[in-house]
Amino acid sequence: MQGDTAASRNLASCHLCLKLADARLHECPRCGEPLHLRKTNSLQRTLALLITATILYIPANILPIMITDQFGNSTDSTILGGVVLLIDMGSVPIAAIIFIASVMVPLGKLIALFYLCWTVGRAKQSDPRQRTIMYRAAEFIGKWSMVDVFVVSILVALVHLTGLLVILPGAAAVAFAGVVLVTMVAAESFDPRIIWDQQDNSNE
Amino acid sequence: MSDLQPRISTGRRFNPVWVVPVVAIVVGLYMVIHTKLTEGPEITIQFNTAEGMEAGKTKIRYRDVDIGLVENVSLSDNMDKVLITAKMDSDAADMLRDDTRFWVVRARVGAGAVSGLGTLLSGAYIQLDPGAGKSYRKAQFIGLEVPPLTPADAPGVRLTLYSERAGSLNAGDAILYNGYKVGRIEGVTFDTDKKEMRYDAFIDAPYNDLVTTNTRFWNVSGVSIDASAAGIRVTTGSMETILLGGVAFGNLPGMPPGDKAVSGTVYKLNASYQALQEDPYRYGIYYVAEFEQSMRGLERGAPVEYRGIRIGRVERILIKELVTQREAGAGKPIPVLLYLEPARFGLEDSEQSVDAMRQSIALGVTTGMRATLQTGSLLTGALYINIDWYKDAPAAKADEFDGYPVIPTIPSGLGRLEQQVGSLLDKLNALPLEPLVASAHTALSTLDGTLASLTTTLESLDNILREEGSKALPGELNQTLVELRKALAGLSPDSAVGQSLGNSVFELNRTLRNLEELTRTLSEQPNSLVFPTTLPADPIPEASPQ
Repeated sequence: MQGDTAASRNLASCHLCLKLADARLHECPRCGEPLHLRKTNSLQRTLALLITATILYIPANILPIMITDQFGNSTDSTILGGVVLLIDMGSVPIAAIIFIASVMVPLGKLIALFYLCWTVGRAKQSDPRQRTIMYRAAEFIGKWSMVDVFVVSILVALVHLTGLLVILPGAAAVAFAGVVLVTMVAAESFDPRIIWDQQDNSNE
Repeated sequence: MSDLQPRISTGRRFNPVWVVPVVAIVVGLYMVIHTKLTEGPEITIQFNTAEGMEAGKTKIRYRDVDIGLVENVSLSDNMDKVLITAKMDSDAADMLRDDTRFWVVRARVGAGAVSGLGTLLSGAYIQLDPGAGKSYRKAQFIGLEVPPLTPADAPGVRLTLYSERAGSLNAGDAILYNGYKVGRIEGVTFDTDKKEMRYDAFIDAPYNDLVTTNTRFWNVSGVSIDASAAGIRVTTGSMETILLGGVAFGNLPGMPPGDKAVSGTVYKLNASYQALQEDPYRYGIYYVAEFEQSMRGLERGAPVEYRGIRIGRVERILIKELVTQREAGAGKPIPVLLYLEPARFGLEDSEQSVDAMRQSIALGVTTGMRATLQTGSLLTGALYINIDWYKDAPAAKADEFDGYPVIPTIPSGLGRLEQQVGSLLDKLNALPLEPLVASAHTALSTLDGTLASLTTTLESLDNILREEGSKALPGELNQTLVELRKALAGLSPDSAVGQSLGNSVFELNRTLRNLEELTRTLSEQPNSLVFPTTLPADPIPEASPQ
């Protein structure tokens, strides 16, 4: 697996068109995009976004995500409250889906990315391959946590029987969508190559 | 190509991405602080039951706007009440005043109205009605078990009606004016002190202007059927009042409307319009009249009249008060409570008229005003009380019985007749009848003897008449009369004797006239027998010396 990296040969990949060009150039000779060896400030940006997502995660769980207005009597439901309610109603599989998509996934992604950021500066840590897999998994699965937001959006759009049953999005829906979006951007801004850079430096 | 030198900055630059979490923190902190700052007061409401109330779900509403949320439902310390702890919105804090009312809105199905149906599915909620009181930020409230029908600040007028019978009125029943619903009964209570029903009534604005001091209220519940010689008449109110009952009001014809009613005015609720027409006045005065006659036939409500004009009614016979007030004694007069209404006299229906009537009766009693018990109907023996002036009435002084002023009475009518007959019989009894009868008996026996002698006399007379001489007597009498007629015929004016008699009389007349002249002259001038007569000169008119 060991070998030359593009960086060691002063070659940089364009962020946009992925052209491999001389890193000393400031702009991609093909598309004119600024050229960097690695994503600039990757770690800082990822951390800032992760902190934002963590902050957003608090209201997303405390505030109601969905307000069910049934015959004039509105019921607020939080994410965890909905899961508990579904378990009480016996719909354990649906409760499991919602729990996984809305609680486990964003939480797991946050933890994974924090872990990655933390381990970047530490060489002796676990296998970089493992961490790369972790990163891929986090990036891949992150968008699925939008399931909850989509469920709410679809319910809001569909269930609008004025006077009988109206479902309204709660403040948590916005916060939760923010969590998902910000973590996605955070995952995007994380440059997994710095995991390997560390590896290479320690090897050398 | 370009002479621009690149500026290479060393050291760690501030990365703008950090703005993002900072913004998130600032927004989050703002929200937390804002929530804390706008958090309303926490209140406790006490109810008898927590039916339908759920912590975290039951809302507190005002005009269907959520202004609070029940946070906790618990029992009071002694377990006999339910304490509802609720968090109010901060802008609802001003509504928490001394007289703010809370009640639970549940589905209520009554005959008149179905309310709170929404709560069947959504669950009960607590309704708030802000009071008008001053003190803000009260934290302890006692909830109403029955929802009030009218908000405290609703425009209109709140009245109290009273009646002796409950009728068929309930809270929520309509109050009608000319058949149109303008208000409702809000509450029904029984006043145990006064033994009468009390109804809290509310008349909505702008119809409260229709209620004046002279307004009368009457019950229009159900159906009233009048069968009389004129036919059968069925009177009903609206359909609602047939089923549920209701109250109508209006002013009596021919009566001034009076001033506008203010909240808290008390009105009598008449049992029906007919009852109202019989007893339409509000102000009256109680009097007691004490009679020493039989009360048989004196009904409650019997008329009290002044020379045939109805001025009041008999309220009741104070027999109980008589027994408790006065020492037991035979022959005490029986007090009768009268209710006199000045408006029946054409006076205004007001307190002033009552005073005027009281004064005029007090004055009248000293000048012979008396009450009498009269027979209204000889067939039924129904009595009524008449008030009139009696010149010969014995003097009476103002008295009081059980706190009521007393109108003195004199016996009269059948009672008076009875007394007179009684006194007549007494006099008859006192007459010395036995000696009278004895002397009459003697007189009669004497008369008997007289009659016997009379019979003998008559018999002897009869014998005399029966003799022959007596029988010839009429014939001789007849002959004598014939001869008398003949003699008289010779004296008639046509006969010779008659004519010479007539001449003699004429001559005598002339002589007498001359003699009369002589006599007059002699009487005027007695000396004319000696001296010649001189006639007086004719009088000549002349002016008086003055």
